[in-house]
Formats: sequence, structure tokens, C-alpha cells
Amino acid sequence: MKILVCLKQVPHKDARLEVASDGSWIEEGNLKFEINEYDTYALEEALRIKDAGDAEVVVVSIGPERVVQSLRTALGMGADRAIHVCDDALEKTDSLGVAKTLAAVAKDEEFDLVLMGLMSDDANYALTGPMLAERLGIAHAAGIVKETLSDGSVEVERELEGGSLGVVSLPLPCLLTTQTGMNEVRYASLKGIMQAKKKPLDKKSLADLGLTASDVEPKVTVEKIYAPLKGEGAEIIEGSASEVADKLISKIKELGLL
Amino acid sequence: MAKILIVGEVHNGELLEATLELVTLARNVGGELSSLVIGSGVAAVAEELSKKGGGKVLLADDAFLENYTVDAYTQVICKAIDAESPDLVLIPNTSSGWDVAGKLAAKLDTGIATDVIRIEEDGGDLVFIRRMFNAKFDARLRLAGSPRIATVQPGACEAFEGTEAGSVEALDVSGLESRTKFVELRQAPAGGHDLTKAEFVISGGRGLQKPENFEQLLKPLVEALGAQMGASRPVVDAGWLPHDYQVGTSGQIVSPKLYIAIGISGAIQHLVGMKNSNYIIAINKDADAPIFEVADLGVVADLFEIVPALTEAAVAAKS
Ligand SMILES: Cc1cc2nc3c(=O)[nH]c(=O)nc-3n(C[C@H](O)[C@H](O)[C@H](O)COP(=O)(O)OP(=O)(O)OC[C@H]3O[C@@H](n4cnc5c(N)ncnc54)[C@H](O)[C@@H]3O)c2cc1C
Ligand SMILES: Nc1ncnc2c1ncn2[C@@H]1O[C@H](COP(=O)(O)O)[C@@H](O)[C@H]1O
Repeated sequence: MKILVCLKQVPHKDARLEVASDGSWIEEGNLKFEINEYDTYALEEALRIKDAGDAEVVVVSIGPERVVQSLRTALGMGADRAIHVCDDALEKTDSLGVAKTLAAVAKDEEFDLVLMGLMSDDANYALTGPMLAERLGIAHAAGIVKETLSDGSVEVERELEGGSLGVVSLPLPCLLTTQTGMNEVRYASLKGIMQAKKKPLDKKSLADLGLTASDVEPKVTVEKIYAPLKGEGAEIIEGSASEVADKLISKIKELGLL
Repeated sequence: MAKILIVGEVHNGELLEATLELVTLARNVGGELSSLVIGSGVAAVAEELSKKGGGKVLLADDAFLENYTVDAYTQVICKAIDAESPDLVLIPNTSSGWDVAGKLAAKLDTGIATDVIRIEEDGGDLVFIRRMFNAKFDARLRLAGSPRIATVQPGACEAFEGTEAGSVEALDVSGLESRTKFVELRQAPAGGHDLTKAEFVISGGRGLQKPENFEQLLKPLVEALGAQMGASRPVVDAGWLPHDYQVGTSGQIVSPKLYIAIGISGAIQHLVGMKNSNYIIAINKDADAPIFEVADLGVVADLFEIVPALTEAAVAAKS
């Protein structure tokens, strides 16, 4: 069994985000980054399949030099090798460009399973998985909370609205995108981190993948990001903790709940 | 003038409200409108949509479409696109929407914007507005390619309420295939912690940092005030509280007299679960957190200072 896990590196959850001077993205200069949370569940799921039997887990990330650190983390958690795709032409690409690039990575590898996050925590597009499946010509299911592999197929539970789960069965090879919470994600052990240093990490450019800049020319352009226009918003109460507490208690009394 | 195709959504034989929201949105954009209804035995739904502003409704009715599968739906939407040649395709951003939309855009090699909240015209072109960075920012997107595709956030606009003549036309849906096989629909176990009828809910989010803080910090407050405890999804994902504490689209929808959100940012999926509360108080150290947009009363401060003080005041108020 050969599994590809796609990892995106995104700003750390607690990072304070500011709009960059060109107005179309955030200022990345001093930010801390981490593996997109949704993707950590995909990686954990792949590692569990590996633990339960025989599987090779390959992780891939597209991004600037900094993403190497996330790939090393993934290797430390137990992935077998990593592919880092880095190219200036990918900086302004869109989800389809990312999917085309990932498809080129997967082309000659014959993966049985491709696992990735439902959505990235920065862009929140939820597009790359289904796009990649289409480019690879394989079946997919988005937003899964459970998977059970059997010979040649996988049964998954997709999270639907109102607490229902859609159970579908897919033939291998296929692609699954993971919802958060589907497993308990492991940490890289010290031993794992030591071993990771010896694991292969290949760096590839677009040309290495047989692609050119025009292949990843974006169809989607983020023209501008900005703080949302504020509505009326909440009435903000101020004061010391005990003053605030007293005001809240009067409100709760006024609502007849105390 | 633009031609717009709306991909309607049917749940349990009924037209989803989000479809009528797309009608409103499409009418605001302006242009010629057609819609698509997909399912098995859904002629009445198509009829309904045609009378509720859906324009020319294409009916894709086939036993094979009884249950949603991404392959079959992609094929049907492509057939509708071939028939109508729209410039813009609108799809509700639901669990089937985010399963199918990316695949469709890749197949057609065209531009797409997901979870859109508004579409504006600017310099003769359409601009798609959506949230990014978990609602910290709004973004304006431009799309190339044809047709352009947008999935639209449920609730982003009002459902269309007018009535119209409309028409229904059958779409040829022969030859559908699907690699994915529908197995069954399962209901996630309900659990015993029912918040849907609670009068007073106090929810904690990721801002509480660790499970002990639910036990040692939040629980004393909840008990002192006689409220019920709720949580945001990350708290449940991390296993700090069971799933039946989760408030939101994939948890419970609550409407208490008072909802207090502590250390919760206010992502749309959480807001959907609590914004109909009669009164909302939010405690968050980030003044820009979107939760303050739906809250009536806000405290911009460290919850680790406010919560103990509030618990103390609650205990004092009762004695
Ligand atoms: C399909 C789908 C379904 C989903 N369903 C749900 C759902 O049902 N329910 C749900 O909640 N989410 C749901 N989500 C997840 C949702 O998108 C958000 O990720 C989630 O709601 C964020 O939870 P949070 O606000 O607790 O965490 P965060 O967004 O990380 O916010 C934590 C907040 O705590 C504040 N904070 C931190 N420290 C302190 C402190 N010391 N004092 C005061 N404030 C502090 C921060 O300023 C921040 O605003 C869903 C997502 C998807 C894609
Ligand atoms: N640059 C990238 N490198 C590797 N994987 C990515 C990249 N961008 C997106 N992905 C994958 O696609 C998923 C969905 O991302 P998105 O479509 O941007 O919401 C993520 O959770 C990742 O698994």
C-alpha cells in the first residue's frame, strides 16, 4: 500500500495576522507556521494504516523554503519520505494550479490512497482535494470522519448536515479529504525526530515535474483582503475583572436567569 | 447580460432553503436564470422551484440519482451546463456542494470561489466576496474561465419569496455512472446532553487552552449560574468534551435566553449554531474576533481573569 499525504503549511493558530502592504495577502514576515490542522488528521490516518500493516507514507508540500520544517515534522511522526515542491511560479497560483502540481507529483508513483485536509485554515477554499482527484482521474470523498479499508476498496463516513453521516464505498485508488477530530494525532517522538534526519526529502521545481509556469497560471485572483466591515457589534463593557463581573451579573439577573 | 445556472439542493424530498437564497443572489446579479433539480421522484420539487423564482428549471430525475454521489452529480451538472451555457453557476456551500464543486471546476478548467457571501459588479466584471482566515478577513476574488463557479454560504442572503410562472424541462440523464457507491445514511449518536431546549448555555472554546480548564474554571461558573455547558468544535475534536457538547452546524443548534461564549472566535459554523439565542455575551481577548459581531454584550479581556471573578460574583449573588 502506498499513501500520499498532502500537507499545507499555514500560519500558527495564535498568530496575529496583518494585511500585507500589497493588500492581497497577509504579511508573512514574522509569523510562526504550522501544519494545517485538517491535514494532521490525514497524516495520522495514513500512519495508522501503516502501523496496522504494510504501507509507505509519502508526504508532499508545495510552498517556500519554510515548509521543509513541516515536512520534517511529518517525517518525525513516522512518514517515510517527503517531497517539497518549490518554485517562484507557484507563489501566485490558485487551487487548480496546486492540484495540477500535486497531480504531477503523484503521476508516476501509483498511490493507492491520497489523503489530505478538507480545507486549509488560511484560505478556507476546500477545493484542492476534489480538484486533485479529478486531475488524477480517481474517485474521491470530501470531509470524511471515518475510513475502513478492505481489499481494493474503502468505506468512509462523510460528515453531512444535521448530525447525519453519509456512508459511501470507493474503489482504490481514491482520494479522501479529512474533517477535524477523526482521530487523535500523535506527536513526533524524540527518536522519530532523530530518524527523520536520515529520511529522504526531495526538492522539486515545476520543471522537474514536467510543468511550466503557464500550466499553473491562476484562474482565481485574490484582489484584496481587508478587515470585515464592522456592523453595530456588541456593546463592550470595560473595567476591572470584578467590575465587569458585577455588570454581567446584573445583566444575567435582568434576563431573569439568576 | 449574464446567464446564471443555479444548482438546487433537495434534502429528504424537500427543496433546501439555500436554493431560494441562490435565487435572490442570482436576481441581484441580474441576467437570465435557469435552475437544476437533481434526484429521484423530485418533479414536484422542480415545479415548486419554478414557481418560486427559479426560472427555467431543468429536472434531472432518475432512480440512479436517489442518493447523492459526487460522480453522478458532476455528470448531471455538466449536462445542464452543456444545455444552458451559463456564464455563472451557483451551488449551495453544503456538504455535497464542497464535495462536487472543486471536481466540477477542475473538469471544466475554470475559476471558482467557495463559500461566497456576496457577488458585486465592478468595472463590468463580477467580484466574489468571501471570508478568509477563518473570518478574520474578507476577500475580493476575480475569476477567469467559463462558466465561473461560486458556492454560496447558506444564510448569506434572504430566500426569494416571490411567485412566478416558471417552467420545468426534463434533462436527459441517461448513461450516468458512479465509482462511489452509496451505502447508507447514518445518524450520529445523539448523546444525552441536550442543549436544544436549554435556557442558559455557557460555551467554552479553544481559548480555554486545556481540558483541565473546563473542569476547574468553566464548570464552577456553569454550576454557580445554573447553566448548561457547551463547546466549540476544537474542544470536542481534542476529546476534552464529548460530541453532545458541541454547538454549531455539525453539533447542536441552540436558542437559549442567554448564550455566553468564552474563548470562542465566532467562525460561521459556530455562529449558525447559536446566533438565534435571545441574548449573547462574548468574552474574548481579541477585540476583532467575529463573535463580537453577533454578541449583544462583549468583554474584551483575558478569560482567565474574568471567569474566576464572574464565578465569585455569581456565588455571592446567590447567597
Ligand atoms: C464543515 C465544518 C463544520 C464545522 N462545524 C462546527 C461546529 O459545529 N461547531 C464549531 O464550533 N465549529 C465548527 N467548525 C469549526 C469552525 O470552523 C472553527 O474552526 C471553530 O468554531 C473554532 O473554534 P474556537 O472559536 O473555539 O477556536 P479559535 O477559532 O481558535 O478561537 C479561539 C478564541 O479564543 C480567544 N482566546 C484565546 N485565549 C484567550 C484568553 N486567554 N482570553 C480570552 N480569549 C481568548 C482567541 O482570541 C480566539 O478568538 C466546523 C468547520 C467545518 C469546516
Ligand atoms: N500548498 C499545498 N501543499 C500541499 N497540500 C496542499 C497545499 N494547498 C492545499 N493543500 C491540501 O489541500 C487541502 C485543502 O486546501 P484548500 O483547498 O486550500 O482549502 C489542504 O488541507 C491540504 O491537504
